[in-house]
Amino acid sequence: MASSAASGLKYLSNALATPEQLSNSSSSIDGVSPDLEASIRFAGAQLTQTAGILLRLSQDIIAQAIVTFTRFWIGSEGGSLRIYSVKDVSAAALYMTAKLSFQPTSPRSVLNVYTFLLSKEASPLWFVNPQGSPDKPMPEAYHLTEGGYQAQRQVLLRIESIILRTLGFNTHVALPHTIALTYLQTLGVPSSAVARRVFEHLNSALLSPQLLYLTHQPNALAVASIYLASREEGVKLVDVEWWEVFDVDREDLGFLVVGMRSMEGFAQAEVEKWKGRGVPMTVDELEGEIERRRMMEEGE
Amino acid sequence: MSSKSRWATDDDPETEAILAQRKREKEEQRRAKAEKQRQLDEQQAQASASDSQPQDPDTTAPPKKRRRLSNDHNEDQPIPTANNEPNILSFPAQEWGPCRNIANFERLNHIEEGSYGYVSRAKDINTGEVVALKKLKMDNSPDGFPVTGLREIQTLLEARHQNIVYLREVVMGTKMDEVYLVMDFLEHDLKTLLDDMSEPFLPSEIKTILLQVLSGLDFLHDQWIMHRDLKTSNLLLNNRGEVKIADFGMARYYGDPPPKLTQLVVTLWYRSPELLLGAEKYSTEIDMWSIGCIFGELLTKEPLLQGKNEVDQVSKIFALTGPPTQQTWPEFRSLPNAKSLRLPPTSSAPTGTPPLLSRAKFPFLTNAGLHLLSSLLALNPSTRLSTKECLAHRYFREDPRPKPKEMFPTFPSKAGMEKRRRRETPEAPKRGQEAPKLDFASVFGGQSSGDTGEQGAGFTLRLG
Repeated sequence: MASSAASGLKYLSNALATPEQLSNSSSSIDGVSPDLEASIRFAGAQLTQTAGILLRLSQDIIAQAIVTFTRFWIGSEGGSLRIYSVKDVSAAALYMTAKLSFQPTSPRSVLNVYTFLLSKEASPLWFVNPQGSPDKPMPEAYHLTEGGYQAQRQVLLRIESIILRTLGFNTHVALPHTIALTYLQTLGVPSSAVARRVFEHLNSALLSPQLLYLTHQPNALAVASIYLASREEGVKLVDVEWWEVFDVDREDLGFLVVGMRSMEGFAQAEVEKWKGRGVPMTVDELEGEIERRRMMEEGE
Repeated sequence: MSSKSRWATDDDPETEAILAQRKREKEEQRRAKAEKQRQLDEQQAQASASDSQPQDPDTTAPPKKRRRLSNDHNEDQPIPTANNEPNILSFPAQEWGPCRNIANFERLNHIEEGSYGYVSRAKDINTGEVVALKKLKMDNSPDGFPVTGLREIQTLLEARHQNIVYLREVVMGTKMDEVYLVMDFLEHDLKTLLDDMSEPFLPSEIKTILLQVLSGLDFLHDQWIMHRDLKTSNLLLNNRGEVKIADFGMARYYGDPPPKLTQLVVTLWYRSPELLLGAEKYSTEIDMWSIGCIFGELLTKEPLLQGKNEVDQVSKIFALTGPPTQQTWPEFRSLPNAKSLRLPPTSSAPTGTPPLLSRAKFPFLTNAGLHLLSSLLALNPSTRLSTKECLAHRYFREDPRPKPKEMFPTFPSKAGMEKRRRRETPEAPKRGQEAPKLDFASVFGGQSSGDTGEQGAGFTLRLG
């Protein structure tokens, strides 16, 4: 029974990061400091989320793309930020995930959106354009020339292959969102405010520096978000250890709840930390940042 | 966004050399660092192993991380509220890691060239195991990695079942566009086997084969996967009587309600009438039609419906099943390609749901068998049997019973020894083709079904 039950669970579960993968990364081996790596990964995940919205992809595709993007960077055999530009991996992860879904999109659409989001003058993203969106639209700032398109397309497709090779073609990502809705119904929570808050937590957790989607199965993420959301909304749940019914133990639940609650503080600290500057989105920008930090250290 | 790219092809050989040199250096640096890191880890591991037994991080075991710690914890002090430990389900441990290189395999011989790649027999140099290597066709498409290949890998990785060919891993060559699927090697495919057999399988053997195919397909459909290219050449058989479904080049996920999908799927001879008539929404019933065709082929040793083209295929189908009527398939008139179809007067149409096929073509089939076949080859997809209904069908419970797998006869293997001859069967449709707008006006024209039909079975008396 165990084996047949387990094989039937595959589409509800994910491959998780090994302890080795969590404690090493190719970038840190290449001398990128952990806090810089976390900042860049956080910004890259946000870039993916925003691009997905502009491409009108549904959130499940975007979420899967962010998980794939995050998986790519971890472990000593993962991708290094000093070799691959974070913007390229973000675009390729989104493009590839959409390709496998019911809503495929074209390289041109993807590259148009990324050109806009990475424009230092017109981008609405705080970590690309700290001045904020311009008052008037400025299409000339994010025009993708035909030559630029051809070159970028080559990069997109090449990085797609590199992602596939790095992940051993493991493109499967199970998400907690639908599981959470089922659990909410099972628990008899009628409040749509709780459900909304659950989704907010699940979507923020995609950006977590603790890589929650890489360390825990979707059912655990679902349970933790329900626990947290019902507390925040003041909805009382059954007075027993209901999480065990959904195969989550107290320790995992506690860890995840703390992780999810810390997201807001982490995001604010990031904005504060990079105030007025852009987070490096390319290998060249990263080299510049590393050089800047080295000079600062030497200056002191 | 600057278009300066690290990967843009640079024609200047000097810069190229410098770039290559730099890359090499970086690579070496990285390796050295990884090695240093590894040594550090080892030291730490040894240190922690010596002071705490249960946290021994063995590198071969699947990752357990926190879960493992908490389990250990629970053993020491059980949760006070419950008498026994909570029964918490553990999920199958899965990991990911980069692809290995093709150099780990030694190619033995070529097996066949399918529509989506070349298959050869190979040996894993490290373990000595014989495997099947399938090279994916990378059609240099402007869309990057072919989506069919991606779907094939994704569905195969997810479809772990004893009746579905086991994808061990994906390996790559030195170039980015060399991708190989490493799969378990099976000695035969049913098509080649049927071609070489002088007599068809015994009824008991047919049941064993069908039950296994149905059980694999049942699993696929449960996982929301449609195969979309079931045929005898995609069903593999090993010398232990095990049948496995292979070639997921056409497979994909489906949804409920069914999404709009291409009709250009399934090899012509196994393609269902709703696909031929241009249905834009279809579901798992198309696989069930193919099963019906395979069942018929197992019975007679010949492909059941060998149309020359789409129009001919439809006319062969109607010749076998009788034309659709308002009763048997009410929705059929609204299908795009049915507009041009002129049906003969309905008086000749058979009755019953589904109408039973003619007994003359399958003289040795029992009533239950004929009912199963007729229900698989039901024109109306909504009356076609599902995998679960088939598996519960009385045909499989009546005598002769399915032959135990261990008793299955063995055959000399073509795949293991020599290059296959090229088949004359048509191939699955190519991706990206336009679905043809077909004119079916001639379906009931002069042409009769006599050219493939009545093959005298001769005098055979075989009991399973």
